[in-house]
Amino acid sequence: MSLAALKPIIRKHSEIGIFLVAVFLVLFFVATSEGRWNNAYNISTILQVTATLGLMTLGVALVIGTGEIDISVGSTFGMAALIYLFLAVRVDPAMAAFAAVAAGAAIGAFNGLLVTRTGTPSLIVTLGSLMIFRGLAIALTSGFAFSVPYKDRGALSYFILGGDNLFRIGTFPGVNTGFLWLIAGLVILSIALKLMPFGNHLLAAGGSAASAHSRGVRVDRVKLRAFIICGVLAGLAGVLEAGKLGSADGSMGRMMELQATASCVLGGCLLAGGRISLVGALMGTFVLSSIQSYLVVRAIPPQWFIVLLGLIVVLAALGDRKLRQWALKR
Amino acid sequence: MPDAKPLIQVKNLNLYFGNFHALKNVSVDFHAGELVGLVGDNGAGKTTLIRVLCGIHKPTDGEVYFDGKLVKEFHPKLAIDQGIETIQQSVGLCDNLSIARNFYLGREPVRKVLGIPLLDFAKMRGEATKVIRAFGLRDNVSADDEVERLSGGERQSVKIGRAVEFKNRVVIMDEPTNHLSVREREHVNELALQLRNQGLLVIYITHDIFQVHKLADRIVIMENGEKIEDASTDKMSAEALEEVIRQGGRVVEKMES
Repeated sequence: MSLAALKPIIRKHSEIGIFLVAVFLVLFFVATSEGRWNNAYNISTILQVTATLGLMTLGVALVIGTGEIDISVGSTFGMAALIYLFLAVRVDPAMAAFAAVAAGAAIGAFNGLLVTRTGTPSLIVTLGSLMIFRGLAIALTSGFAFSVPYKDRGALSYFILGGDNLFRIGTFPGVNTGFLWLIAGLVILSIALKLMPFGNHLLAAGGSAASAHSRGVRVDRVKLRAFIICGVLAGLAGVLEAGKLGSADGSMGRMMELQATASCVLGGCLLAGGRISLVGALMGTFVLSSIQSYLVVRAIPPQWFIVLLGLIVVLAALGDRKLRQWALKR
Repeated sequence: MPDAKPLIQVKNLNLYFGNFHALKNVSVDFHAGELVGLVGDNGAGKTTLIRVLCGIHKPTDGEVYFDGKLVKEFHPKLAIDQGIETIQQSVGLCDNLSIARNFYLGREPVRKVLGIPLLDFAKMRGEATKVIRAFGLRDNVSADDEVERLSGGERQSVKIGRAVEFKNRVVIMDEPTNHLSVREREHVNELALQLRNQGLLVIYITHDIFQVHKLADRIVIMENGEKIEDASTDKMSAEALEEVIRQGGRVVEKMES
């Protein structure tokens, strides 16, 4: 098979770049960590991190698909975690989760309405809500952490919402139930995006809002829906993370908006909108979590993670552009 | 013969974009079974007027009646639902989507699987393929290809094919023969006549008065956002109408200097 035969495949599948990166990194980690990276326990941890960051990433990818961006998800995640933990012990974990996810939806609606009704760029709007809800979280907790004592976490709801040790087999410690939520989210959103009119409208709005509008697509509603779904997913991710850790403070989810956005970019989502890959974005999340864990097992100070993250995003974006330009040439 | 009662009636329409007065007190009637040429120089307001008719722009004041009923809400979705198909010049296709997805954008056929409305890809591909073959797109272009890959003429063919496929009561064509070869242009003009003969209202926008004079029953000339002429083609020759356009231009020049 000649290289030229690969062109249509690369053109259609923007996530190929991140798969190549992932394969290379995994081989590199396996080769250089002397088994400290590639063991069952560590893989399980990586999947755990991938689960919550991944849910958030799916939502961000949808918003990017409409040509907008949502960088408020880190705060939404934190707010949802705090609401969940606050209500779980006082009311009921299931009700608490519902309230937290509803709060996520409300923040998404707040962003979406401001963007579509006022025409303010989504970067500005969500930068504002990032600060508003982060500030609220810190102010309301006044530096204290909310938690649910381990002995109180017996109910089934706690297991469903971020419980550990699912599929525990032999030495494999099992995965967090959050991972199932991620798979469910991926399947549902992939169907909606690829097989339903919803996805056609969403990608049309991101590809050319004017053309979509002229064909009768209600672009504002499409965008609003994407923001709400994004808020819901960030909220759900916050609940699952809180459920897993059992405690949270005002800084919960800090910087996660950057990781989610980076995952999307790495995964082949075009920031200008209209072209996204949900699988690619999750692969991006996996790559980021893997790098983070590699630094941990190699005992490299974690502050280097953000430096490395930045470098990888720039390199991946450049490489991806070159690859696509090549694939688009006739 | 066109109906006595207009299908679309525009009354004292004004449209401002900020301080810019884009349409100035425009009144015009359009009848079913009529092919109307809408002519004028660049910036005359032709496209703006039809963008009101197809719901993209909301007029600042004035009235539009469709089929005798006052139009209260302007949105492309409502216009399309009423049977107004528009071939826009610069918009209408999303580069990032396949031809089949573009073809049905905004009115996707679905079939329910377990109560979930899934796109009916067989129908979308089938119909889109029929149309792109009828319009002579390259053989190696399939309905699954993204519009990004198409040439200017091919894009125009997809838009026209789509409008003809979904034709209902009104087909508005904004510079439909731009980017087209001589043969393609003849094909489009033939289609416009066919649609008229089927009883549809066809509004044909161009700045080529000679080309449209051969097709149209009536010519409406616009200049600087105003209607300056409205005459049937058997009453006024193409040369006479061209003179009107030229005069209109000169009047404006004087006003500006």
